[in-house]
Amino acid sequence: MKLMLKIAWRNIWRHKGKSLVIGVILFIGALLMTLGNGVIAGMDAGIRKNVVNTFMGDLVLIADKQKSDNIFFNMMGTSVESISSYGQIKTVLGSQDYIECFMPAGENVVMILKEDENSPSYAYLMGVDFTQYQKMFPGNMKPLEGRLLNPGEKHGILVPTHIRNEHIYTAMGVWIIPEGEGVAKENLTKEALENFQNITFSSSIVMMGMASGSNTSTDIRFGVKGIVKYNALNTIFGHFCVTDIESYRECLGYFSAGDQAVEVPKEEQKLLNMGGSDLDSMFGSEQLIVPNARNKGAGLEHKAAAAPVKETNIEDGIYNLVFIKLQHGVSYPYALGRLNKALEAAKTGVRAVTWNKAAGPIGSMTLLIKGALFVFVTLLFCVAVIIIVNTLTMTALERTSEIGMMRAIGARKSFIGGMFFGETAVLSAVFGGAGIAAGIVIVKFIPFFHITTSNDMVQLLYGGDVFHPILMIPDIAVTTVQLLFVTVIAALYPVMVARNITPLDAIQRD
Amino acid sequence: MNIIEINQLFKEYPLGNTTVHALRGVDLVVSEGDFLSIVGPSGSGKTTLLNVIGCIDFATKGSVKVGGREITALNDREITDIRLNKIGFIFQTFNLIPVLDVIENVEFPLLLMKKHSASEIRSRAEKLIDEVGLKEYTKHRPAELSGGQRQRVAIARALVTNPDIVLADEPTANLDSVTGGQILELMKEMNKIEKTTFIFSTHDPNVLKYANNITKIRDGLIEKSS
Repeated sequence: MKLMLKIAWRNIWRHKGKSLVIGVILFIGALLMTLGNGVIAGMDAGIRKNVVNTFMGDLVLIADKQKSDNIFFNMMGTSVESISSYGQIKTVLGSQDYIECFMPAGENVVMILKEDENSPSYAYLMGVDFTQYQKMFPGNMKPLEGRLLNPGEKHGILVPTHIRNEHIYTAMGVWIIPEGEGVAKENLTKEALENFQNITFSSSIVMMGMASGSNTSTDIRFGVKGIVKYNALNTIFGHFCVTDIESYRECLGYFSAGDQAVEVPKEEQKLLNMGGSDLDSMFGSEQLIVPNARNKGAGLEHKAAAAPVKETNIEDGIYNLVFIKLQHGVSYPYALGRLNKALEAAKTGVRAVTWNKAAGPIGSMTLLIKGALFVFVTLLFCVAVIIIVNTLTMTALERTSEIGMMRAIGARKSFIGGMFFGETAVLSAVFGGAGIAAGIVIVKFIPFFHITTSNDMVQLLYGGDVFHPILMIPDIAVTTVQLLFVTVIAALYPVMVARNITPLDAIQRD
Repeated sequence: MNIIEINQLFKEYPLGNTTVHALRGVDLVVSEGDFLSIVGPSGSGKTTLLNVIGCIDFATKGSVKVGGREITALNDREITDIRLNKIGFIFQTFNLIPVLDVIENVEFPLLLMKKHSASEIRSRAEKLIDEVGLKEYTKHRPAELSGGQRQRVAIARALVTNPDIVLADEPTANLDSVTGGQILELMKEMNKIEKTTFIFSTHDPNVLKYANNITKIRDGLIEKSS
């Protein structure tokens, strides 16, 4: 081994030009591989920090009847199916030791209506218990104007800057300001500033839910409590307005906890319990409509209004999804497998999907960008391998006399192979190692330049608003393994060529 | 005792659409400690014969025994081991390892054998370098030596493993007549000192005076042995 490495090392110096060519390729390859892995790791960490930890969690529960897993960012505005069994779901989730925390929410597309116009705008509306929401996703948004929602506050809404600027002002010509606040001119868009004299200002917006299977959605006027900015990926998350869950249900026409608390009169209960196939019973012997219906009806309204309201349990109402955060280190396939089994066994009517499936095109785009980076690094490997293979093979053939003579005086094929591999390994260790070191230094320095973007796609590449590649020990280990892989692959063919050189080849060449 | 026994050795090469009959039924016996010269004109088959004896080339047909062992049916590893342990080579074009200095070149076969300690290897190599008159050049690389000096290193390297046979294919072809004479004198001397069988090929009639025995070869057939 010592002799093999001695010859390998001296041959590197003897063929300086070729060694330098291979070395430079290995250096650039290792440098770009390190940077690529840094970007991928940074993107992973950014996505985890900005999407998983502050917006969606690791997994999302959606109704079984939901056709597509994509419940966020659905471009066609397809509504999200309702979940009415949260009580059961909560019991199941509470018994799973790999789950860190969870929170139910409502989420659907709503129309933003303008009283004097027929052309509505659209937004996503999320209904949450805001106290619970802030605990689940702490510090994910900050009020740019106004304030956040107070505990138990109803019919209040938080409007992201993106919705205000693009979906309301650009589409409807109304500039939203929070209740009790003046116009913050510094936050006006360029167009709004130019058109300042003609702008209509409003501190409330009217929204109407667009949930499927609900014919009872209501126009709800929301008082704007704050104009908010998500701390990261605001362009993407900024499509989501946030309100309390009960107002959300009201807007979407869902059965709310308040509804349940109302004592429904016997006659209404009969109507409510009547299935679609039982319509004939309306005309049965028992009279639902009596001659004095008008008076009775008035009585019913009165009775309903005056009915004693039980203590409401918010969680008894309708939701659309449940956000779930997993314990650190729990793999998605493991958690999905166990959770879906438990949910199915409990007949909850919901299924768990990963955040990137629930995020639809955004999640897919993240995987796509990650895949593209991986392909880029792989292509880099291939190019490096091809050039190194070619150069080393030429070197092997040029040294036919030397190798053939070694074989003639008793060197085995394994010695020749080892010597050639040793040369590649030494070059790889020296130049590739330098490339990795340079890559680490660059990755460490990039955050100091504070490179930011407002472009959605680039934000996904960055894993947030700021380009922050990172390299942890495992990432460096991965790069080292990749370099080792390149070295082995690149050396295989030249080693084979060198091993197959016979003493006779050397003599014939001479 | 016979160190080499060759019986009806044929060697054919394909050359385009034709076949070259390099050896056409050679019979040869070489005794231990001999200093044999194979002579013949260019293309007579002397290099091919040496290559087959030295396990560098393979016979098309026939039997070749080296040290009593039939070599025509051996695999690559066994053949390599025979080359390492039983045979020493001296080539026409010196063929030293360019990145190793004189002493490292001489030590090289012993290091491949993995049988000796570092000190044994060093003392054996130094002894042989001394015997071939290159004591002052142990740290020189081949590129820093003359043709005659390189061939001396090759002789030392060929002998360092105490082989049964040393094969030298036209060892003086690339040397001037004076240096060539010195090299053959040295080989002869080493033959006496080390008791090693030497077989060398040449087409130069002037070097025949050094040989104990001469085998003439022409058109792939042994013409005369004396």
